[in-house]
Amino acid sequence: MSDPTIQAPSRPTRPKNAVRPSKHAVISMGAMGVNLARVAIIGGFLLLWEIASGRWIEPFLVSSPSRIFFSLISGYRDGDLLQHTWVTFQEIAIGFPIGAISGIALGYAFGRSRLLAEIFEPIIIGLNGIPRTALAPLFIVWLGIGLWSKVGVVFLLTFFLNFFNTYTGMRQMDQEYVDLANLMGVKGWKLTLKVILPAISPYVFTGIRTSIPFAVIGAIVGEFVAATEGVGFFIRMSAGIFKTADVFVGIIVLMIMVIIMDRIAELIERRALRWQSQTEHIQIQA
Amino acid sequence: MANLTRNPSTVAPFPSDAVIQVEKVCKAFQSPGRENLDALIDIELSIHAGEFITVVGPSGCGKSTLLRLIAGFSPCSSGRIVFQGEEVRGLNTKVGYVPQESKLFPWLTVEENVGFGLDSKQYSRADRERQVSQFIHLAGLAGFEKYYPAQLSGGMSKRASIVRALVYEPPVILMDEPFGPLDAQTRMVLQDELLKIWEKKRQTIIFVTHDLVEAVALADQVVVMTHRPGKIRDVVQVPMSRPRNIFEIHRQDGFDEAYGHLWNIFRHELSIGAH
Repeated sequence: MSDPTIQAPSRPTRPKNAVRPSKHAVISMGAMGVNLARVAIIGGFLLLWEIASGRWIEPFLVSSPSRIFFSLISGYRDGDLLQHTWVTFQEIAIGFPIGAISGIALGYAFGRSRLLAEIFEPIIIGLNGIPRTALAPLFIVWLGIGLWSKVGVVFLLTFFLNFFNTYTGMRQMDQEYVDLANLMGVKGWKLTLKVILPAISPYVFTGIRTSIPFAVIGAIVGEFVAATEGVGFFIRMSAGIFKTADVFVGIIVLMIMVIIMDRIAELIERRALRWQSQTEHIQIQA
Repeated sequence: MANLTRNPSTVAPFPSDAVIQVEKVCKAFQSPGRENLDALIDIELSIHAGEFITVVGPSGCGKSTLLRLIAGFSPCSSGRIVFQGEEVRGLNTKVGYVPQESKLFPWLTVEENVGFGLDSKQYSRADRERQVSQFIHLAGLAGFEKYYPAQLSGGMSKRASIVRALVYEPPVILMDEPFGPLDAQTRMVLQDELLKIWEKKRQTIIFVTHDLVEAVALADQVVVMTHRPGKIRDVVQVPMSRPRNIFEIHRQDGFDEAYGHLWNIFRHELSIGAH
């Protein structure tokens, strides 16, 4: 999850171990020391960049942190950048939830119905083999140059990740929980809400969180192909006229978008998986 | 009282007060090589209300399979199981089931786990709360209501798992080696607690174990099963009086007799296995 360029994992790593680094490890190294080291590394890198730009490397190739900073400020002051950000945000805000929810729903349905899974599984796996960003131009043809073609690409990228994670969760789920609940007379929607969804929730959250960067990629790719506004459009346009600082501004905006979305998802995940995270702390005592 | 019929050739009229009648039940599984693997052959049992039955046998003899058939998790290959006068078809929601591992729902607190089987249509909110808290006390889990299963020790989750099956008061409780993985002390404490709870509630219990001492200590009758394919080898009456003292079970009258009897059967089984 730390590397957004990795290809969609077909099988999530056990979420419990994968999601959060152990607190103990950090504390033992000294929280202060770690933070200091981080600041030093990032600060050092920015400083080196600032010095190198204009001295050793042409500024129009790499710009510089100070130029990027001022471009960012002026971009938002004009309202121009704000508009681009808003457009991209809308594409994601529509495409991502629809993609995630339908992916989760289909993954659940496949897990529940063997017939459905048997018929459609090879088809879905086949479709998954398509490099999905390659479909972006097609979406432009179908849905036009505006908002909806980008929503389509975002949807596509989000959907499969959520589908595969949820479906994996359904298959890995301990069937004995369902049997026991059935035996206790719990079935139907109550079974789904009280047993199945909680049982697969670690997988569902892994799906949601891995798909966040991909949703943003979807929006940007869509905007690269054909658009009149949006951060992707802004980046492409800026690069076209060698305003390198603005290219970086666009990248920073995207990065912040991904980080904010991931933080929100993490917060929700922590609350929803409270039962799991408490495991690590208290088991020592038990 | 209650006798267990196990001679398949006589069509004995079953006493009408039997809760569970297992009639000529066979169960075969498909092995990977397409051959049918017989797990159970011609099982005949008749179990009466309020009895504590233990089932012992070597591992892989189909003890657990028998429980799963009674619970309706899977169908019999032939024969039938009659539960309170009705043939078991599909899940038997009138039994409580305590699996080998505790299998508490990890996302629910102890309280929510214990109350899980209490249907909101049958129990008012107040009834539900009263019932849950009564059983949590019975299991010695008071104060741990808000804990998640992962925060409990092995013995505590076991207790919670047992009262989860008891709380909605099904007429029959099936227990599949529930104390298997516990250490000796915890095991004895839990056996003692189980007997105390049972003496209060007097539900019918079918308890699968591979431990002969446990089988004798808990039961009114011990059903002895043979190595695969599982058949009923014998049914041993345990003449010990109740209430029993689990911690000094060896000194109680009748223990040696029943244990000796059981061990004789097993020794025979073992020597057959060796040949």
